Amino acid sequence: MEFLNTFLKAAFIENLVLAYFLGMCSYLAVSKSVQTAFGLGLAVIFVLGITMPINWLISEYLLSESGLLGVDLTFLRFILFIAVIASMVQLVEMVVEKYSPSLYSALGIFLPLITVNCAILGGSLFMVSREYNLSNAVAFGLGGGFGWFLAIIAIAAIREKIRYSNVPPALRGLGMAFILTGLMGIAFMSLMGIDPAAFTTNG
Amino acid sequence: MESTKYVVIFILILTAAVAISLTGLREATKEQSATNEDIFNKRAILTAVQDYLPNGQKVADLTDEQVLELFAQMKQPVVDMEGNIIEGVKAESIDMAKERKKPEAERRLPVYVYEQDGQQFYILSVRGNGLWDEIWGSVALKSDLNTIAGATFDHKGETPGLGAEIKDNPSFAAQFEGKEIYESDGDYVSIKVRKGGARDPKHEVDGISGATVTADGVSEMLYRGLKYYQPYIDKVKQQSFLLN
Amino acid sequence: MAETAVKEKESVFQFGKKERKLLTDPLNDNNPITVQVLGICSALAVTSLVYPSLVMAIAVIFVTAFSSLFTSLLRNYIPKSVRMIVQLVIIASLVTVVELTLKYLNYPVYKQLSVYIGLIITNCIVMGRLEAFSMANKPWRSFLDGVGNGLGYGVILVAVGVVRELFGKGSLFAGSPIELKIIGPTADYLVNTTDSMLFGWYANNNLMVLPASAMFIIGIMIWIQRSYNTKLVDVS
Repeated sequence: MEFLNTFLKAAFIENLVLAYFLGMCSYLAVSKSVQTAFGLGLAVIFVLGITMPINWLISEYLLSESGLLGVDLTFLRFILFIAVIASMVQLVEMVVEKYSPSLYSALGIFLPLITVNCAILGGSLFMVSREYNLSNAVAFGLGGGFGWFLAIIAIAAIREKIRYSNVPPALRGLGMAFILTGLMGIAFMSLMGIDPAAFTTNG
Repeated sequence: MESTKYVVIFILILTAAVAISLTGLREATKEQSATNEDIFNKRAILTAVQDYLPNGQKVADLTDEQVLELFAQMKQPVVDMEGNIIEGVKAESIDMAKERKKPEAERRLPVYVYEQDGQQFYILSVRGNGLWDEIWGSVALKSDLNTIAGATFDHKGETPGLGAEIKDNPSFAAQFEGKEIYESDGDYVSIKVRKGGARDPKHEVDGISGATVTADGVSEMLYRGLKYYQPYIDKVKQQSFLLN
Repeated sequence: MAETAVKEKESVFQFGKKERKLLTDPLNDNNPITVQVLGICSALAVTSLVYPSLVMAIAVIFVTAFSSLFTSLLRNYIPKSVRMIVQLVIIASLVTVVELTLKYLNYPVYKQLSVYIGLIITNCIVMGRLEAFSMANKPWRSFLDGVGNGLGYGVILVAVGVVRELFGKGSLFAGSPIELKIIGPTADYLVNTTDSMLFGWYANNNLMVLPASAMFIIGIMIWIQRSYNTKLVDVS
């Protein structure tokens, strides 16, 4: 139940893009068409789902004072987290390339972009500051990835449509994307009052 | 393409250089950073008795040394859930976040007894959940252990402009001054944050528009947090009754 | 942009027209936020007040400048196959330096910026400049490019911070030693306000405090910039 609770919260209420504005760069850069947005969104879910538990294990058993080394190494977390993310992305890229060329051709070009997607590192840092346990960390990773996926599909769809509207030339493209995201962010705020526990206990 | 050996050696040297220099910097700054954190937390606690600081100063006017001195002068008992004082522990060594993870019966509660011009203030710590994450605060009770002399709140991640106003808008905490946590017949009621405006002038304060969940979190935190202190408060009252 | 290494025989630290361009280009024509669309995340999260924006801007300038310098110094030795990881390690260590220093010098601001300091690592400006410039240019020029891009980023950050704080809180530099109480507020939305909190005539606009307002402000900035600088207009 707690798993589902964290998942829903991360996906809808605490949406990484729309509530925290994380992963903005690739969100704005790759949202010109729904198709590419779809590919990137899937890749983000995938990588977040893998890196969160690994980083959880690292921060719990390697970096904390009660861990295996017995020394407080939390100040090294940035380096280790990003190294895990970068190597995971590279690993995923190699595995996908070898076993599923079709998936690789769909995701391939996006994978390197993901290393520098703030949402991935942000997820791991939030996980530490919120002191999640392992299953919550996985739920947060998958939920956060799913929320990111939804957000980028939504903005891409709007951007595809708005191309036919009469936007002032200087505002076209990027400027409009910013303003749209702001509006979506405000719209998402209305989900904040929802108590995710209500879904899981009643349903 | 470089040989694997070169790549491995390069990475090893880089890692070693980075690890050594960062560890050095960490060791050099560790002590001062810990002091900074300590003073930061102490200033937050003192904010609850902001109106009663020496020479009418505000917390922001105090120097770091003055903050430490004020804490050195305070009595800092730590009490258990039955209200008994635990010997050998000072309130400032209690980490409320860690206590909150323990089973209720085993928690330890910090009390700061602040004295100014012969008046006594009991600063109590509370902690609970807001909308996103934990919220916490300090509540200072006057020597009658009923009237609130001041309160201060903080949060980990409430929404800026909405829930975060419990900290950012000083007028929210200022409302708590003069409120009472007991009914006149001695029943415990705590203080409630009421959406749409306080109705009971003694036990309620106004909410923050758009931040119902955080406000309810504050009400809940105060009700439960101050209730933990009930056994201790009863004992202090009993003692002062006997002394008189 | 076609930025390629230029063969030079002059002294290492010369500062000519080309070097000046490295510093000024990112301020307008090639601004990291409004043109390159890099490093938005942290821009939005910390800009509700000017002071943290300023601290963040300085931190980013420091990281971009020195990561560019170090990467450029090492550029001939970095193995191609692990290039990204090496760059990230350099950036992450510099960010750790920033974190430790801030904790040492100004704990309250460290608290305020919390998670977002770590996110400088994934601030795409840093990585983007390393890939596009430092890997192919000499240390001094890379350093200047880093400073320039950090500045271009910082200018937007502080500008957004000024608008948000001025209209959201009525003050400037709140939380710093030089807090300026400028236009407001007159009365808060709470009933029991004490007079000392009222220092002006302005009723705070709560929209400006929400992170979404940063999106609107940057969107409008892009609009203004592109109205004057028409070569940047998106034709698609």
